[in-house]
Amino acid sequence: MVRYAFFLGCQIPMRLPNIEIAARKVFEKVGLEAVDLLGYSCCPEPVVSRLLDEMAALTISARNLTFAEELGLDMMTLCNGCYETLVEANEVLRHDVEKRSKVNEILKRYGREYKGKVEIKHVIEVLYEDVGLDKIRSCVVKPQKMKIALHYGCHLYREYRSPDIMRKPNMMKEIAMQTGVEIVDYGLERLCCGYPSMQADEELSLKQRLLLKLDRIKEAEADAVVTACPACMIQFEMGQIMLRSYGIRHSLPCINLMELLALSFGVPYKELHLELHRSPVLQLVRRMKVV
Amino acid sequence: MVTDLESEVINYLKGELDGDLLEAYKQRERRVFVRVKPSAIRRVVQLLKNRYLMLRFMTLSAVDNGLDMEYLYHFHINGIVLTVRSLKPKEDNTLESIADLISAANFIEREISDLFGITLMRHPEPEHGLVLTKDWPDDKRPLKKPFEGILPPKARPVAEALISSSCVAPISSFIQRKRESAGLSKSAGFAFADEKSMSEFHSMIKDTNLSDKVGFDWEKKRLRYK
Repeated sequence: MVRYAFFLGCQIPMRLPNIEIAARKVFEKVGLEAVDLLGYSCCPEPVVSRLLDEMAALTISARNLTFAEELGLDMMTLCNGCYETLVEANEVLRHDVEKRSKVNEILKRYGREYKGKVEIKHVIEVLYEDVGLDKIRSCVVKPQKMKIALHYGCHLYREYRSPDIMRKPNMMKEIAMQTGVEIVDYGLERLCCGYPSMQADEELSLKQRLLLKLDRIKEAEADAVVTACPACMIQFEMGQIMLRSYGIRHSLPCINLMELLALSFGVPYKELHLELHRSPVLQLVRRMKVV
Repeated sequence: MVTDLESEVINYLKGELDGDLLEAYKQRERRVFVRVKPSAIRRVVQLLKNRYLMLRFMTLSAVDNGLDMEYLYHFHINGIVLTVRSLKPKEDNTLESIADLISAANFIEREISDLFGITLMRHPEPEHGLVLTKDWPDDKRPLKKPFEGILPPKARPVAEALISSSCVAPISSFIQRKRESAGLSKSAGFAFADEKSMSEFHSMIKDTNLSDKVGFDWEKKRLRYK
């Protein structure tokens, strides 16, 4: 059985537990053991914390990585932001002796040491490389007859293992294709959803990022957008609500890849707590069921 | 053993001040900096007066750092310049005067009081009105900055949540109930769910100085500014 230390991050367990619920159902079906961590913290959050103080951010990341080192397991994340933060910290600490020594000086006071022995993988890599498309396909019992647009999320393009920045997005596309959906191209897949720029300029984030994507996805006649990142999901769902205050209405359902997989694996939608979505996902799934 | 005056001043203050002395160093030839707790300023001045007959008070500088006021007392001692620095949180808007110990500090303290809106304690003439008019509005002091740290408004809740709870997205009781109904633990394996892990996380944050940098109040468990 494939085993990974499971780094859940903040947004998923605290705001979007529906993603965690779906992920655990998927892991069970494909035979993937996700070992929970006890005592972990935020990765830390990539936009604010890392810009504020690099050494503090590296120390927090290194502490989180020591949990996986203690278990003797590689680490798997469900969140694009956590993935980038932890992979980047791992790379910096492995190659910069001075920074590693400073971080370890602090960790040592608490009986910890960062050794650099852990690999970090996004759940997409784990599903693609360790589980495999054949296994995923074999688990699909309810192909999802819907047209979807994919939003990969900016951090998924960050690549340390290969010069090909499309490696993980292509994996995501291939995994999604196993569920029976039709994937539509809308031409703005690479554009950011606007989540990070919400910190600086709400109107720009909504109108110059999210809205452009929503309009193009609507033109492409997709039933839903599928994301791999909780922050992007928050932006797609809350952003549509916020756009109403500018007199703009969209009602595009936004689903996480784990939820799409769980639905295609035959997990009853009621078990997935889709009512937690702030976009009409539940309505879409009910409609598909009737069709 | 022959020691230069710079080292002699540093060693003297180190010997007398113990925990009140936070830092002392010779920056270059004839230039010495020491950093002390704000409560120790009057004691430092008295110690210097007792020890060095040729002590001359040059001036006092004040810098508004947003969250704190920094006061720099510059002294001349037999050819060297000693600067005594102290940082005082702006929540306490007062300054202990040294004018009764050194008369030359009288006017500069009043000027700082006028320009930054600081209240002088123990000063012989503590009222405003030296360089500005007496009725100058308190909320419009020309050199006073807003009470703010380095974080822009939208980043504050994120940093505050990270430092106080180890997690940037506080959990609601609604989500806790949903998690439990789905067979998940109430709040995942976060540090805040375990006292020992939380204490370790907080100590590490203090070790990295992140909390000082952003202006986090550990007693109130929140940022010093909104």
